[in-house]
Amino acid sequence: MNDKREFSWVVILIWIGLFSIGLTAIYSATQGPVSQFLPSYIQDNFFRQSLWVALSVVALVSIQFISPRLFQEGAYIVYAISIILMIITIFFGVEVSGSKSWLRIGPLNFQTGEITKLTTILAAANYLTSRRNITSENLKTAIVTVMIFALPVVLLLLQNEAGVAIVYIGILPVVLFWSGLPHGISLLMVAPAIIGYFTVLNWKWGILATFILTVIIFFLQRRTWLTVTSLVFGALVIIGTEVALHHVLQPHQRARIEAFTNPQLDPLGSGWNVLQAKTAIGSGGLQGKGFMEGTQTQLRFLPEQWTDFIFCVVGEEFGFIGSSTILLLYVFLFLKLLNIASNQKHPFAQLVIVSITFVYFVHFIINIGSATAVLPIIGIPLPFISYGGTAFLTNTIMLAICLNLDFNKRTFSIYR
Amino acid sequence: MSTIQKEKSRAAIRVLQGIIIFGFLVMLGRIIQLQIIDYETYSPLSMQNSLRMELVKPSRGLIYDRKGIIMVENQPIYTITITPAKFNPDKVPILAALLKIDEELLFQRIREAQNFSWHRTSRLFTEVSFEVFSAIQENLWQLPGIGHTIESKRHYPTDVNASHIFGYLREANLEELQASDYIRMGDYIGKSGIEHIYENYLRGERGTEYIRVNAYGQALGQYNEGDLNIPPVKGTDLITTLDADIQALAEKLMENKQGGLVAIDPHTGGIIAMVSAPQYDLSKLSGRIDFNYWQELNTDPSRPLFNRAISARQPPGSTFKPFMGIIGLHMGLITPQTQVYNPGFYFRGRRYGDLADPGNYNLVSAIAFSSNTYFFWMMDRIASRGQLNTWSSLIQDFGMGPLNNVDLPFERSGIIPDSTYMNRTFGERRWGIGDLMSLGVGQGMVSVSPLQMAVATASLANGGYRVQPHIVSAVREPNGEMQYTNPVFEKIEWIQPNYLTEINRGMMNALMEGGSRYYGYIPGISIAGKTGTAQNPHGENHGWFIAYAPADNPQIAIAVLMENSGFGSVSATPIASLLIEKYLTGEIKREHIYNHVLNFKARIASSQPIENE
Repeated sequence: MNDKREFSWVVILIWIGLFSIGLTAIYSATQGPVSQFLPSYIQDNFFRQSLWVALSVVALVSIQFISPRLFQEGAYIVYAISIILMIITIFFGVEVSGSKSWLRIGPLNFQTGEITKLTTILAAANYLTSRRNITSENLKTAIVTVMIFALPVVLLLLQNEAGVAIVYIGILPVVLFWSGLPHGISLLMVAPAIIGYFTVLNWKWGILATFILTVIIFFLQRRTWLTVTSLVFGALVIIGTEVALHHVLQPHQRARIEAFTNPQLDPLGSGWNVLQAKTAIGSGGLQGKGFMEGTQTQLRFLPEQWTDFIFCVVGEEFGFIGSSTILLLYVFLFLKLLNIASNQKHPFAQLVIVSITFVYFVHFIINIGSATAVLPIIGIPLPFISYGGTAFLTNTIMLAICLNLDFNKRTFSIYR
Repeated sequence: MSTIQKEKSRAAIRVLQGIIIFGFLVMLGRIIQLQIIDYETYSPLSMQNSLRMELVKPSRGLIYDRKGIIMVENQPIYTITITPAKFNPDKVPILAALLKIDEELLFQRIREAQNFSWHRTSRLFTEVSFEVFSAIQENLWQLPGIGHTIESKRHYPTDVNASHIFGYLREANLEELQASDYIRMGDYIGKSGIEHIYENYLRGERGTEYIRVNAYGQALGQYNEGDLNIPPVKGTDLITTLDADIQALAEKLMENKQGGLVAIDPHTGGIIAMVSAPQYDLSKLSGRIDFNYWQELNTDPSRPLFNRAISARQPPGSTFKPFMGIIGLHMGLITPQTQVYNPGFYFRGRRYGDLADPGNYNLVSAIAFSSNTYFFWMMDRIASRGQLNTWSSLIQDFGMGPLNNVDLPFERSGIIPDSTYMNRTFGERRWGIGDLMSLGVGQGMVSVSPLQMAVATASLANGGYRVQPHIVSAVREPNGEMQYTNPVFEKIEWIQPNYLTEINRGMMNALMEGGSRYYGYIPGISIAGKTGTAQNPHGENHGWFIAYAPADNPQIAIAVLMENSGFGSVSATPIASLLIEKYLTGEIKREHIYNHVLNFKARIASSQPIENE
């Protein structure tokens, strides 16, 4: 039996720290002095989230008693089940603010797309560890992995949940990179996102980014075809982005991009959220305005401040001290999980922990990036902090699996 | 796991750690930028966001009559406003339903507001009912860009309309906005009457209020318990010299007629009543403008917006004679004993008609029976001796001709010709005695307003003092402090008491024996008066009447001009007489005269020019 001292208590402490900040912020955003203007189902958010936290504690503890082998053996089955649940959701789901991503089971509503994050990772990890490492000559394994990811992405797009789909697209290069996809090709996979981002800001920067990335790819791989592909991709992305911006996108979509690049253009319309989010965080200053004292939060200048914009609540009411605490807790968590991953012997365990870390990381970057106007606004929650039961439970289960794998690393052998 | 693979995964971990640390540093840098470096930018922004500074309009000063009766007050009206840039056109059906109006009408109003400005708030509908107002208030959260305010409009609680005295309020126009630091877009300001003249007193001082609002613009209460609020200062009240009863009666008597009337306190110059007929209905111009009514007023040929009482220019006719008499005595042309024979005309180059019975007239009887010959004879002497300018300046001393600086806008001077005026009109040396003769009986080029005649009559009544006519006698500050106006009251040096005695006798006799006795005489009250008829080349002659009473201790001086009404003794005299009776006794006993005035209609133009009565 393993020694209890080998259990990563620091991860548990960070987890408690994050959800405590989350509950505090949710309480402030929904139970403040003028919360009578909020609909009653939102006023109940704090209470509901507390229940989900309690349920998650039970899940976290229970998972520690599962044999790690089961995660690998059951990977395809749970993947299949979750995909079926997603398909059911498309037909029988509950529609909430435009997205049909909720499935009602008894008294509880589940976001099936959240659970699928975990099952996709397990399935991809199981597949990749049962194959030879990916090389630049043998890309078949990589293509199958892409398919495993593509299936839920398509279903999420059908559910009108583009934000969550971006998370899958974000972790795919990491998964492939970890499994041996050459660095150059991995970089090539993320290059369109980087080039696209800079092109939205200014097409000249997009060209600059293309050249810099191509040079890096050349030095990493030294293959002419890859370098040429990189240049062609870059050019296509720049042209595609420009064409999309000016000709393809619907006016409201374009407005969202413009709100990001220049919120002052329409401060009362699409630029509103960007400006109000920046104002909330900026006006928090060093110490913040105090618990339940934030005017931006309490007077509802931000939409969805218990989920997508929860970072603004903390930033406004607890200032730089509060928001930098969140950043530090996350970066410690991520680095600790990577450290745990590198200590694993079993490649499945390694890959699962790395992938889960990057699920959190992608949420972290996109959520805080949106709130601070570094990125265009993409509505996804902040792990362990934002209101949202299924997400909290899934994130906790994923953390519990990481802890389980780590705790059992000596017994979870690659040799059956 | 092979060593090579271990090496490889260690390198991969490094890359991933690098990505995470890079992401962390970007986010950390961003929050340092927002919360530490740009704190000074965002902190005031969040403050402005949650606080709405609202201007609180002060209530406009009230207007009282001389006895303390409120004649002009304020009434709350409910207004719905719109800021077109913030308004969502999808909300038109909801808004129309709440306002209980047609969607098409609403669209039209919104377009008008858009034409004015997309970003400024304009009034969408004013004077909505309280029910509609409350309904909008409850639904503001789902109507972005829509606002509501309580404004006030003028209300006239007594029978006094006094449109030309009080004047109306309108939204300030661009020029007025640019000329003033205080006036803001959408402010209502006085455009005529004392509302205009005393605008700076009446308007008070705006206050400000800081209100906490949420993102939907819902007011959540006062900021800091109202510590920063500056309460508005109520406007200053005006105490006027008007007598509400007399003013109301005067308006009633002038109904359906055309002309002007001024009743004045001869000892102060305070205007007791002033009417210009036709009037306009002030209550229709208060608050929401009745556009059709406004059009009607501007196109009406009888020009109801024109204040005849202070702006009309008409020859005074025979009401000029008492003043001629005083000047004659002063210039030594006549003595009280001087007699002039009237054969039925006066001859100077041609015949100047006189309708008074033939015979000898002295000053008293010439005034009482209005003999023209006496005054033609006098004017002949003035003109022959080249004393036109002396005559002109003496007449002007009575307040005829120049402006009297009454506290009303649009006062016009009259015309009292002197040689300069004659030269300008006819050319140098191209005019002669013949052109001046008719001035002696108040005809020809001489022209005055009812106000000027009232001021001149006041000098006859008060022993030769020049009064400054005025409406407002005092203003009352919001703290209750009174500030009195200081109108000029000045002796006209050259007028001797004995001159006035003769004139007084003549004017009293006119009411007892002369042509105005039937409609003018009031049993038990000694009244001094003189009728006049101004020749009108364009139609029926204008009737005049001036009077003061009681003759031995005058309390009221009055001048009435009735346009196109023929003889002053029939048209103007009864009005003045009734007002005097009411003012001095508090009631009207002579029902038949009251009814005569109410039924009086201006007559069709007579073919005969009438020069005297």
